[in-house]
Amino acid sequence: MTAFTLDALGPDASRHTARRDVLWVRFGRALWIAPVVFALAVTTLYPTVFLLGLAFSKSTLGKPFRGFVGVKHFATALQDPIFLSAIGRSVAYALSTSLLQLALGFLIALLFASLLKGGRFLMSLVLLPLMTPPVMVGIAWKLIFAPAGGLLNGTLINYGVISQPISFLGHPLLAWLAIAVADLWQWTPFIVILCFAALSTIPEGVHEAALVDGANAWQRFWHITLPLVAAPLSSIYLLKLILSFKLFDLVYILTFGGPGFATTSAGFSIYRRAIEQFDVGRAAAETIIYALVIGLATLPVVRMHQRFERREI
Amino acid sequence: MRLAARHLWLGLATAPIIGFFALPILYLIAVSLKTKDDVLNGSFWPTTPTLANWPAAFEAANVVGFIVNSVTVSLLAGLLTIALTLPSAYAVLRLKIGGQWLSDVTLSSYMAPPIVALIPLFFLLKTSGLLDTRAGLVLVYGLANVPVAFWLLTPFLRRMPLEIEQAAAIDGAGPFRILLQIVTPIIAPGIVATFIIVTVLAYNEFLFASAFTFSDATRTLPVGISLFQGDRLVNFGQMAAASLAGIAPVYLIALFMQRYLVSGLAHGAVK
Repeated sequence: MTAFTLDALGPDASRHTARRDVLWVRFGRALWIAPVVFALAVTTLYPTVFLLGLAFSKSTLGKPFRGFVGVKHFATALQDPIFLSAIGRSVAYALSTSLLQLALGFLIALLFASLLKGGRFLMSLVLLPLMTPPVMVGIAWKLIFAPAGGLLNGTLINYGVISQPISFLGHPLLAWLAIAVADLWQWTPFIVILCFAALSTIPEGVHEAALVDGANAWQRFWHITLPLVAAPLSSIYLLKLILSFKLFDLVYILTFGGPGFATTSAGFSIYRRAIEQFDVGRAAAETIIYALVIGLATLPVVRMHQRFERREI
Repeated sequence: MRLAARHLWLGLATAPIIGFFALPILYLIAVSLKTKDDVLNGSFWPTTPTLANWPAAFEAANVVGFIVNSVTVSLLAGLLTIALTLPSAYAVLRLKIGGQWLSDVTLSSYMAPPIVALIPLFFLLKTSGLLDTRAGLVLVYGLANVPVAFWLLTPFLRRMPLEIEQAAAIDGAGPFRILLQIVTPIIAPGIVATFIIVTVLAYNEFLFASAFTFSDATRTLPVGISLFQGDRLVNFGQMAAASLAGIAPVYLIALFMQRYLVSGLAHGAVK
């Protein structure tokens, strides 16, 4: 803007209009991306700055930013064994369930791909879990796992496997398994669709050529299919990993973090700290710590993905 | 003969997969047809099927109101997301505005868990008087799903034949007209797929909705249904009926739009 004013005072009027035209064009070009930049500013930039402010100040939901407290919130959070174990659980949960779902989803996609026409129909069927609101997914599985009248307990008792109902959601380890099963139900179909798409990008002739060369099914899978889909698979894993770090709804509905704190994920723990205990400053510090942990935990996957992509070029 | 055996094998492998993915929804239907005593018997089939849970669920909670809120909020949010994203995605790809950094920042912003934005957005809505309003949720979802839409739309735009746009440019059409009158109709299936996906995401969202709404007039369906749990004596039959009523709209969309949906999801991920 300053440059423009100075220029306007200059002797060369035509140069000045040209300059103004350039500015206009620039402004017009910037308008195109303004919506996305605005969205990013509101949903990413502003929250980050705001969180940093909260994390270093005395803040409640009613009155934020009442005095600077330094790193106090970070120190308390990092000394809180309940929060630290919630982070540990979230990381372990995300890494393991995502890998399991990737393997399972890829196998199902291979199966569907070999079904040809039937595969398309099945594909529309597996779309349904993906479309089901997570809250309803949680409720459906809660009904299945319920100790009194739950389908699983009922079936096990009717077949004489157990005599007393098991409290699946009241046992620390079983409750995690229950969450993982519901998670698997909801997201594996998504992975199936993405893997199916990845498999369909393999050029048709490649397999025939290998067949002519005498490669058996396993060799074709190991030396052709897998290397060709390695890059998409790593990006699918990354995507599922990110989704898993967001785990919240299923915990809220199925266990509410319990029994005790056994199934409290990091996201759920921060939510309770902020929305139920109103301790916003501390919750902000915990959020920043968790975001950093997610960054560190996904970094190796990002690197792996970049390596696979480079290999393809 | 060998072909038949192969099909039998594939069928045997597929059946349990289908069974597993159908089970929870089927059980939800079964429970919604059970009487209160019947729920406790733990078998799959209702012994004395009844439809009583359905009207009872709609009476016990403002289920219709929740559905109306969810549908309005998610549709408007979906439209907002597309309106914000389409021009920018086009500009980055074709007009070379913004460049790679914008795509990178957009995508990486999606990596932060939503809990990161929860508290700041709470204060933003509070200051702007949009807390506990449907407009507030529309804005939040509309903006928050921009990265997803960006990610899904880009591959469709990339596959758009460049010659058509160049021909239109020679005929004197400006970039905005080209986008609106030439590009949009051609990649309409991709736009529809993206719209459905971001709308469903908004419809299903729970974290923001539970923190930003606290009256029946604004609550969305997932929040409304989750309140069924708070009652001391949870009526499973009613909860199942209410859940199914809430799932129905998205399943209908899935039924009619499945072709678009699969291609929309698939194109986004496979680069």
